[in-house]
Amino acid sequence: MTTATTTTTADRIDEWTIVIRVRGDVTAASEQPLMAAYGQAGDKTRAIVLDFTGLDYMNSGGIGLLVTLLVRANRQKQKLLACGLNEHYKQIFELTRLDEAIGIHDTEAAAVAAAKA
Amino acid sequence: MLTLTRTFRRVIGRDGDSAPAKARASARTPVLETPPIDIAPNDPILAYFHAGSGAVAIDDLQLDSPAVRALRSAGVKLVVPLISQGELIGLLNLGRRLSDQDYSTDDRRLLEKLAAQASPAVRVAQLVREQEAEVRARERISQELRIAQLIQQQFLPKTLPNLPGWQIAAFYRAAAEVGGDFYDFIDLPGGKIGLVVGDVTGHGVPAALVMATTRSVLRSEAPRLGSPSKLLERVNDFLHADIPQNMFVTCLYAVLEPATGRLTYANAGHDLPFVRRGNDVVELRATGMPLGALPGMHYDEKEATLGPGDVMVLHSDGLAEAHDPQRQMYGFPRMRKLIGELGTGHELIDGLLESLHAFTGPAWEQEDDITLVTLSRSSVHGETEHVLVEFEESSAPGNERRIMDRVASSVRDIGLDPKRFERLKTAVSEAAMNAIEHGNRLDVELPVHVRVSVTDDELLIRIVDNGGGRDIPEPETPDLEAKLQGLQKPRGWGLFLIKNMVDDMRVHTTNMHHSIELVMKLAAKKGADDGHD
Repeated sequence: MTTATTTTTADRIDEWTIVIRVRGDVTAASEQPLMAAYGQAGDKTRAIVLDFTGLDYMNSGGIGLLVTLLVRANRQKQKLLACGLNEHYKQIFELTRLDEAIGIHDTEAAAVAAAKA
Repeated sequence: MLTLTRTFRRVIGRDGDSAPAKARASARTPVLETPPIDIAPNDPILAYFHAGSGAVAIDDLQLDSPAVRALRSAGVKLVVPLISQGELIGLLNLGRRLSDQDYSTDDRRLLEKLAAQASPAVRVAQLVREQEAEVRARERISQELRIAQLIQQQFLPKTLPNLPGWQIAAFYRAAAEVGGDFYDFIDLPGGKIGLVVGDVTGHGVPAALVMATTRSVLRSEAPRLGSPSKLLERVNDFLHADIPQNMFVTCLYAVLEPATGRLTYANAGHDLPFVRRGNDVVELRATGMPLGALPGMHYDEKEATLGPGDVMVLHSDGLAEAHDPQRQMYGFPRMRKLIGELGTGHELIDGLLESLHAFTGPAWEQEDDITLVTLSRSSVHGETEHVLVEFEESSAPGNERRIMDRVASSVRDIGLDPKRFERLKTAVSEAAMNAIEHGNRLDVELPVHVRVSVTDDELLIRIVDNGGGRDIPEPETPDLEAKLQGLQKPRGWGLFLIKNMVDDMRVHTTNMHHSIELVMKLAAKKGADDGHD
């Protein structure tokens, strides 16, 4: 059986940007690892890029979690971006209109570039 | 009055000292104990004790009483009856005084006072002890029931047979005392299948063991003996040799040839199965004595054919013989009428159970096990439904992924395009998550039932939980703005996602179950495959 696991790593790109690499699952159970990674952003961070290249599975609980993250980022006037989503999850972002609030990019480089714009 | 001598059977040494000194003395000198003295309920001495005249000097008694002799030989000189609310609850037995003098009037008065004060306390202690014993007895009984239940469940089928063109559904619910109902499906040579439904007289562990034995003999002999009547004869003789007295087993056994719908059956005193043909409901009649009652019995063997659209209902008497608060019986006619009006499979079973619930009222305590097995033949060509997989998972958090993976591997070969395959996976995992979290409320005892089937042009995934009786909320169109402003909670995307991932979604709620059926069109119908706006 597959057990739900989420691992996140936060890498600082520059003074204003961090990349959170998400591997495994994004479900309601991912709150702790995701929020811990976001916690490393700090006050000066203006943009957070979520890299979903290593994503195996996301469900509605995970989407709810992204909404919570989005609320927090908005409050801090931070931009939230995403990259590395496969076709299926891109479609889900479109369906839920998350793509209107989270900028979606194919690659991390494109997302980081957009963060600076 | 058996508690008499058990509670107070001490010969207390007494030296006439003050109370503290006595306490010290008795701590040093070993307390002498008389052997337990049983007093028969008709012993004349009881009249003395009951008379309420206080302490009784044993040596002065002129009575032909076994108890008096026993007390004397145990060295008892004085007996102070303990009376509580007019009931003799114990005796304070005293041996000779250490000074060898007789007990004085003062001594007796003191002892009587002591007895009057001790009696209520002793009575309370006795009641507590009785209650503890009762609790232990009750625990033992419920332990036995658990064992019976375990045996019963162990021997009921864990999966239902997968017969192309047929739909099989089963329901079993034990009564509080656990009766001996059972049902079974036996794979037979030539693609045939044996259908069993039976009921062992009696309850509890004995019934469960007889049920287990009957099932084993049926299973081991059925493939060898093609004929239902021969099989019942064989099982009857086997059981008759071993079954406890006054126990027997009613049993209906049928052999189905799925390709033709041909049914051969024999009956050992069990309730007659119903068959619905169009709007008609008939009984399948065959006679024979229950199994295990008498040796050398013969059983009728009959034949019937289940045509397209026909439904057979096998059952035990637990439903038809249920009573309402006015002691009216539910009855076979009511059941028969309803079978004519209801759908098939789980819908039919749920309909019957709902009607039973309405009939008995909510306060009803189930009188006997209820077993219902339905066998439905698909109606016409083009509607042939082929079950790819059918299974259950427990309602533990995270099991939605197991369900998703099992469904995914079952449909891998039916040629769904990769995009639609991914969407189906998401829909299944969301539906399963709803079933686990909302339907079954994360109760790991409750199963989520999953059935994956294909017809000529559709893939159907049905996910059933036990969350009946509650309405399913309409899929909420998520409003991200509202969620971001905290006007909607961040979650609540599940049904919305499901609806958008599949071509159709049908929900069905009964008192017992809530089911969701996900539909993916299989034929390359233009427009059906990519519309997600």
